[in-house]
Amino acid sequence: MPSSSVSPLTLPFSSSSSSLFAAFELSQLGNGDNACSLPPDRRNVGSTSHGRRRRVVAATSVSTSSLPPFKFFEPPKVVESPFPLELEPADPDFYRIGYARSVRAYGVEFREGPDGFGVYASKDVDPLRRARVIMEIPLELMLTISQKHPWMFFPDIVPVGHPIFDIINSTKPETDWDHRLACLLLHAFDVEDNFWQLYGDFLPSSEECTSLLLAHKDDLLELQDHVLASKLEEQQKCAIEFWEQHWHSAAPLKIKRLARDVERFLWALSIVQSRAFNMKIRVGALVQDANMLVPYADMLNHSFQPNCFLHWRYKDRMLEVLINAGQRIKKGEEMTINYMSGQKNNIFMERYGFSSPSNPWDVINFTSNAKIHLDSYLSAFNISGLPEEFYHNTILSSGGDKNFVDGAVIAAARTLPTWSDGDVPPVPSIERRSARELQEDCYQLLADFQTTLEQDQQILDANPDASRTREASIKYRLHRKLFLKKVIQALEIYQESILF
Amino acid sequence: MTSFSHSWLFQDQFVRRLRSDDCGVYGKLCRRKFHVYQKQFVGVCTSSKQSVYIGSNRGLQKQGKTFYTVNCTKERDFDPSSIEPPPYSSYMDSTSGQLEPASGARASIPGREYWPEGTASRVAAARAPEPVGKSDGKPSYGRSPGSRRRKYKGQATTSEVTETNGDMSNQPVLVTSESDDNADGPIDPSDEYVIYQTEPEPEEENMSQYELDKAMGRPHPFIDPAINKPIEEPHSSEDLWWNWRKPEKEQWSRWQRRRPDVDTVFAKAMAETGQIKLFGDYPTKTEAALARARRHIFKEERLQEEQRRLEEVGPIAYYSEWVKSWDRDTSREAIQRHYEETGEDEFTQLITMFEHQTAEEYRIMMGTDIRIKRDPLAMRMREDLIKEIWGGDPVYPTINYIQDPNEVIDFRGPDFHEPTPNMLSYLMEHGKIISREDLEKILANEKQQELEITDMDEALASAVDIGDDDDDDDDDDDDDDEESEGEEDKEDDEVEEEITRNWSVLKSTPQLRKSKKEKPKKKDAMSLEEAIDDSENITDFLMDFDEEE
Repeated sequence: MPSSSVSPLTLPFSSSSSSLFAAFELSQLGNGDNACSLPPDRRNVGSTSHGRRRRVVAATSVSTSSLPPFKFFEPPKVVESPFPLELEPADPDFYRIGYARSVRAYGVEFREGPDGFGVYASKDVDPLRRARVIMEIPLELMLTISQKHPWMFFPDIVPVGHPIFDIINSTKPETDWDHRLACLLLHAFDVEDNFWQLYGDFLPSSEECTSLLLAHKDDLLELQDHVLASKLEEQQKCAIEFWEQHWHSAAPLKIKRLARDVERFLWALSIVQSRAFNMKIRVGALVQDANMLVPYADMLNHSFQPNCFLHWRYKDRMLEVLINAGQRIKKGEEMTINYMSGQKNNIFMERYGFSSPSNPWDVINFTSNAKIHLDSYLSAFNISGLPEEFYHNTILSSGGDKNFVDGAVIAAARTLPTWSDGDVPPVPSIERRSARELQEDCYQLLADFQTTLEQDQQILDANPDASRTREASIKYRLHRKLFLKKVIQALEIYQESILF
Repeated sequence: MTSFSHSWLFQDQFVRRLRSDDCGVYGKLCRRKFHVYQKQFVGVCTSSKQSVYIGSNRGLQKQGKTFYTVNCTKERDFDPSSIEPPPYSSYMDSTSGQLEPASGARASIPGREYWPEGTASRVAAARAPEPVGKSDGKPSYGRSPGSRRRKYKGQATTSEVTETNGDMSNQPVLVTSESDDNADGPIDPSDEYVIYQTEPEPEEENMSQYELDKAMGRPHPFIDPAINKPIEEPHSSEDLWWNWRKPEKEQWSRWQRRRPDVDTVFAKAMAETGQIKLFGDYPTKTEAALARARRHIFKEERLQEEQRRLEEVGPIAYYSEWVKSWDRDTSREAIQRHYEETGEDEFTQLITMFEHQTAEEYRIMMGTDIRIKRDPLAMRMREDLIKEIWGGDPVYPTINYIQDPNEVIDFRGPDFHEPTPNMLSYLMEHGKIISREDLEKILANEKQQELEITDMDEALASAVDIGDDDDDDDDDDDDDDEESEGEEDKEDDEVEEEITRNWSVLKSTPQLRKSKKEKPKKKDAMSLEEAIDDSENITDFLMDFDEEE
């Protein structure tokens, strides 16, 4: 398909979509028709993210607003309010409870949209030589458990001899970190005057949560990925068993009141899975890997091209969120971090409950043994770097493909079967043929899905009241199809622009 | 600063003015004016003060009324100029190069780039503005997480929650406890709640008063008085005195060793050269102090003796020792006679005598003759001993840098409590001390011998250094007895050379010495050589000598 055909395909989406970013992106779309080629995905992403919790926003905006290397969009030229209308400022108490406990946020504000919380820059930040702190959160507000066996809690809210410790201690040390942290979270809700009693009100409730632990069986079927579905089912079963084992009728009240029903436990588990960080922290002289729930920092959404990162400041035991050194931030831009790198969408789906059509690490299993020439493919899209860190080189590209190349094209560069043999140039006709074969493969994969891309989109638009998990799972398969579509388009362009 | 204080003073005046004013106009306008003027006062100057008076003169009767109700006890005739102004209210700070207030925060805070690491962030954290705004939600305290979020899905689903509750078991419901109860009827309440015992515990009867108090939360001592064991009283100082135990001897730290001091080293050196004897291999503090005192006293005594002799025989007789060619009579009578004959007084005669003195004799007299061996102990000490005092370098001493000559020795070692032998009887039986009667006897004997044994050369050689105050050792100090200091010294050295090896044996077995001593004692006057032979070192020599005198 020529690139010109792309935009008609995508335009309907962008116009019809009513996602959270509508206002935001419309302003961007004004830049030109080329810009439209991506937004459709974005749209979809956005709506997908609805299904998720706040994280959703991350996935979406990630690709939208903060992709400096790709330069998908020109930065929005909105003067009056950089924030889309749906994004309302967070509850003042949300700030206040943290402010009183010496949480600080500099130059950022929390906003709440239909997809949940996000962190946005409230002023322009010029590129700085050194990373710049935008948030600091003291250790006292977090919930942490050491990853390895001597279970240590900072702050230690588990009293000596409390039965919750026996439960934590009974988990499998290698795998069940989420169960441990969920127990700790539930316990924190029960401890008087604990910060999480206040902060919990701002966590997504179980309806808002997109984690597939809370998903129905039919929601899992909607994934159209039976491997992932069975894995998630397994996880759910595990969690329920865990709850039944420890929250039996003879359990002490101290324990029982933490999670009276299994839903509460599943909710805690999904909260933990979707917002915990694993970090190496240093407390005093003790350095340890810890699973931690960090208030406020967990409101940061995910991006594959993040503009922030987390840093443990041991001097005063604070977790600080820093802007990447040398990163220019515009007012209203979303602050994002990278949750996991090098993972496929299904892993993101399993843990966080969101997916992205432009995950640069996504993989397609091609069945044909056709191969394309790697260097030609890279040069066609101005991709530079080694396979581990492919990036779109905006200096090389004169703007034509600026709006086309995204994470998916980079993912294709990694996942397409390629050959490369020194200086040997590809034979154009053979290249074209193999590209066409690979396209066929992709079409085949698309055809294997029970629904088409358009159908999925229709389903999503038709029932906006569907639960978050259902939305998330529909979006997952939608993103998969979008990814395949994108690869087909990329191969199309590649056939046209092979160098002779 | 200044401007502030002025404004206060003016306000004060103003207020007084207001109080005393009776005439005026009522009105809000004036009151407002009053406020205006009050504001004006802050940046004050004399002219504005003037205008204020005018303004206040008009009216403010009402205000005045309120002022009367104020119970203010300020003196009427307070003169503001009676307050002494500070000498200066600001000064030029050389650090900042700016005018800084003289009171308040004196030191100017350096600029941000000079702050230590991390300070800027702390300041930023402290300056962060408190969030504003009022939230209408209420915290649920962990009961219903997510309750303060804006519900997007929630709103839609809340209505259907009740309906879908039945079929959608997977949909988690977070509701309050009563609806919980409604939903799950079969749950046994006793299963859910702990049922507390309402009856008083039977054990409560058995509880002691203390336990009861504690259980009821009534005031009670911290420790159960039944169990409480009183703390043993600390020993009285009397008990401590009698129960004192000698600490163990062993030295477990380098800091416990004795500081090397000059006295100890000299005592050691004196012992090595046989001048004193020690009762151990290392001088105790007492021994060291005694050796030092002895050195000092001997020198003092000798000097006194010289002086006494000088006064007794007259300067011409005294100094004629060092003028060999002066063969005239030097007795006082002869001098007197000479004076009567020629009219030359004693001083002139002395000068005449010194005119006959050779240069060599002069050098000897002044103690500057290098041919006369003068070896102070410090020069003869072994290298390691010297180093022990000064670290080997007298110019830049590396150890014992600070030496306090007046340091009082602390005799209270670990053996402080050991019974002390009766020193007097100890010395008496060892022949170190004699009674007064014995001394008189000896002195009476000595008087007769005095003039016989004068040996000019020897006396000259050693009596030279009168008045020069080197007291580093008594080895080269000479006794003032004119008899034979130099000889004694020399002999002493010889003796020392003979006996050095086993002098301590002689010390420890006094019988050997006794037997030696007995013989000369028989004679009433012991010759000097015998005395020297008899004594192993200078101490003994002197002791013996005393006895003989």
